[in-house]
Amino acid sequence: MSIAPSTLLDPALLARIADLPLLARTVVDGFLHGLHRSARKGLSLDFAEHRPYQPGDDLRRIDWKAYARTDRFYVKEYDADTNAACVLALDCSGSMDYASAGVNKFAYARMLVASLAWLAQRQGDRVGLATFSEQLLEAIPPSTRHLQMILHALARAAPKGEGTIPVGVDRVADLASRPGIVIIVTDCYDEPASMGRAVDTLRARGHDVLVFHLIDPAEEEFGFTGPLVFEDGERGTRLPLRPEETRERYLALWKAHREALQKRMAASGADYVVLRTDRPLDAALHRYLDHRLSSGRVR
Amino acid sequence: MGFLVPAFLAGLVALAVPLLMHLRDRNEESPTRFPSLMFLVRLPIRSADRRRITDWPLLLLRALAVALLVFAFARPYLGSAAAVSTGERTRAVVLAMDRSLSMGHGSTWASALDSARALLDGLAGGDHLSLVLFDDDATVAHGWTTDHAAVRAVLETAAPVAAGTRFGSALRAARGLVAAAPPAALEVVLVSDLQRSGLAGTAGLDWPSDVTLRTALVGGAQRANASVSAVDVRRVLSGDRATVQVQARVTARELEAERPVRARLVLDGREVASRELRLTASGERTVVFDAVPAPAGVVRGAVVIDADALPGDDTFHFTVASDDQLRLALVVPDDLARDETLYLERALAIGRAPGVRLERRRPGTLDAATLDRAAMVFLWDIAPPAGAAGDRLSAWVRAGGGLVVHVGPRLGARRGVALAGAATTAGLADRRAGGGAVFGEHRPDHPLFTPFRSTPAALGAPRFFRYARLEPSAGTDVLARLDDGSPALLERREGEGRVILNALPLDARDGDLPLQPAFLPLMRRLALHGSGFESLPSARATGESWMPRGVRREPVIVRPDGGILRPESSAAGPTDAAIVLDRPGFYEAYESRVDGVPRAVVAANVPPGESDLTRADPRELLLGATTSEAIKANEGPGAAAIELETRQRGWRVLLGVMAALLVAETLLGARGWRGQARRATMQNTGETRG
Repeated sequence: MSIAPSTLLDPALLARIADLPLLARTVVDGFLHGLHRSARKGLSLDFAEHRPYQPGDDLRRIDWKAYARTDRFYVKEYDADTNAACVLALDCSGSMDYASAGVNKFAYARMLVASLAWLAQRQGDRVGLATFSEQLLEAIPPSTRHLQMILHALARAAPKGEGTIPVGVDRVADLASRPGIVIIVTDCYDEPASMGRAVDTLRARGHDVLVFHLIDPAEEEFGFTGPLVFEDGERGTRLPLRPEETRERYLALWKAHREALQKRMAASGADYVVLRTDRPLDAALHRYLDHRLSSGRVR
Repeated sequence: MGFLVPAFLAGLVALAVPLLMHLRDRNEESPTRFPSLMFLVRLPIRSADRRRITDWPLLLLRALAVALLVFAFARPYLGSAAAVSTGERTRAVVLAMDRSLSMGHGSTWASALDSARALLDGLAGGDHLSLVLFDDDATVAHGWTTDHAAVRAVLETAAPVAAGTRFGSALRAARGLVAAAPPAALEVVLVSDLQRSGLAGTAGLDWPSDVTLRTALVGGAQRANASVSAVDVRRVLSGDRATVQVQARVTARELEAERPVRARLVLDGREVASRELRLTASGERTVVFDAVPAPAGVVRGAVVIDADALPGDDTFHFTVASDDQLRLALVVPDDLARDETLYLERALAIGRAPGVRLERRRPGTLDAATLDRAAMVFLWDIAPPAGAAGDRLSAWVRAGGGLVVHVGPRLGARRGVALAGAATTAGLADRRAGGGAVFGEHRPDHPLFTPFRSTPAALGAPRFFRYARLEPSAGTDVLARLDDGSPALLERREGEGRVILNALPLDARDGDLPLQPAFLPLMRRLALHGSGFESLPSARATGESWMPRGVRREPVIVRPDGGILRPESSAAGPTDAAIVLDRPGFYEAYESRVDGVPRAVVAANVPPGESDLTRADPRELLLGATTSEAIKANEGPGAAAIELETRQRGWRVLLGVMAALLVAETLLGARGWRGQARRATMQNTGETRG
């Protein structure tokens, strides 16, 4: 009995896989298998530049002619290897630690970032990682060899505290020495204007910005009943409410927030994607590949 | 409608608990986690709305359940408070009425009746009442009833009797009544002159803590009384003429002044002498009547003084035993030497008033007729008979006969011979080589040694060269020992009679006691004490039991008022045929029918303490009593209790309704939107934490 590839991308199913590398590979392979086209899309063998040999480099890639000329080891790098520098920025604030029914938002985000990293690696991109909440928690510069470090860092990450994108966005921009792609995975509990300013900063450095807005179904539907006391996931403050009476007003505010975000991101030139945690991951991966190709980062 | 324990209504304050719970909002403890309240805090919600009561049905259910619980504890009742409440509940009163002789003093009895009537008048219609009449014994004259008229009728027929006072009897009877009393406020009312002499016997009384004892003191301050408190009678022989010499002690208490009193001596119904005397306000005077010729047989006498406010103690009855000789059955062995009992027979023959008449018998001839005639059986160096003769002898002893066993060389030579259960023989002691044994120690207070109290040296002179050794049984008194510790005289009480064992040689061959001055008085005392002659009192007190001696079968008792009693005797013999002397005067005992000369006569008088009208403090009544737990705790419900419970069982209904409310609250809280909210909350909380 065969299993449909899309089944492998079901977040509820993937959440059961504790091994993050295995999870990422499963996602990407399933995703690429479903594309029915070359896995090496965008890959090029055109020579780009020489760089000094470093221990660990493949000896086959040493340019012996250059050695003969200079008596030094140089490695030839091709365009495919340096297609893009992709920095994945993960929001680790307390608000990400939420699940109304299915997959926890942070778990979903972690799967998403791992899969994107794996996919980027498969595409030959250099991948880096930045985790942040109130401040930048961990930063791994983009490299073709940092995938395992990224996966380990993801495994260690835990949602805690308040999260504001503007605080760490400068550092994120500094991670990549050259302009690349910055993918922000967050639940966007911030003012659209602030987020817009942060994205403007990245854009000013020449980065292409892709914002994945993760939402839980309960945040979008607000289907609570009965008198309840709500507790803020980041600050711990409590608020007694009767949800039935406030649902409409809440949903209106929520909708307005999303629309404002969308407008602001569009104004900043960032790609804004809403991801529900009960939906498969392939939509995000597709969006990444589309964005990668459309941004012109692949040479 | 009311509440038995209204203090519990203070528990209604607990109504605030469900109210506060609803206002506090239970979700505070299990909040619903949400990613961010960024939008929610912008909503225009008043804090009053957040804290308002959101679930009125549940709140009302819970408040009602709490209120019902409080009402149930407050014990609601139906009917009047007077009938149900603890403080005003029905009374159960034991009326203990003193009817002793002293209550006949002056107007004391009339006052007592007035007090009792006042008590009855003060009772409510539903109050329970019982009546105890007591003197030295207590009688439940009427059990628990609400028919006060019936008790009143019994009370009106009661009158003082010539008997003493024992409050202990009354209180124990009341204790028994309150143990069976209906549920009510228990009370014992003692109507009495509260004579101090009646307090004896109250110690150790078990008195329930929830029973109130009240005393209604009767009798005025005037307690003047004169009485004949004691009489000393003796028969005196002057030559061949027997006379009776009587001394009486007249006691005066709290008289207003000295007053002359005439004392009369009455013998067999005829006044034979009288004396005038002056009584002091308080004190005793002794009246010595001139000796008068003694009538034949048992003499019934009385000393009478002038009647006063308490006439019942102005006459003292007594009896004087007949001057018949004491009959002693001397049972001698077949091999008796010719002069072996010579000294004993001569010694006993010397005494007069009473004289001693010996009837010599051989073993096996000690029949019932002989025992009937004898006051004492003297076994000379032979063991008590066995078999039917032995049983007959034992029964005779228990009925009051005296048995003296002289253990000489015949018996002493045999070891292990049982001697009427008092001792066993342990061989002979031969002290001829050492100069003989002497008396070692004796009990000088014993009647046997009365003649030697002033001349104890007389007992040290006799020497005993050969004598029997005895092993006393448990319960046998050793009256005298020889210098080697060997028991010489032993006594054991058997019923009304006694057994005396003598190991002293009573002839001149094995000792010199018969030749010593101590022999004659010692043998005389042995005969008088052994026969029980000197133990017969000249008078007894009412309330004592009397077992007539000399009546062997079918005793018939004639009471002072001429009434005839036929006391039941058990199969063991007539020794159990005892009666209670319940009134002063003379009781005569006959065999089978009232005919001829009575076999026994006894005089009964009111206890001397009854003449002492000194009053005790009411608090002394329960001074020696031990307080036990409330008596009502262990009782089963009577009819009144069931009725009472019926009127109070509203608490059960309230508890039932409260339980139903709690069930409804559970159903209401677990269904509908409340249940969904609860489940959603729990789920959210659990998954968020997971």
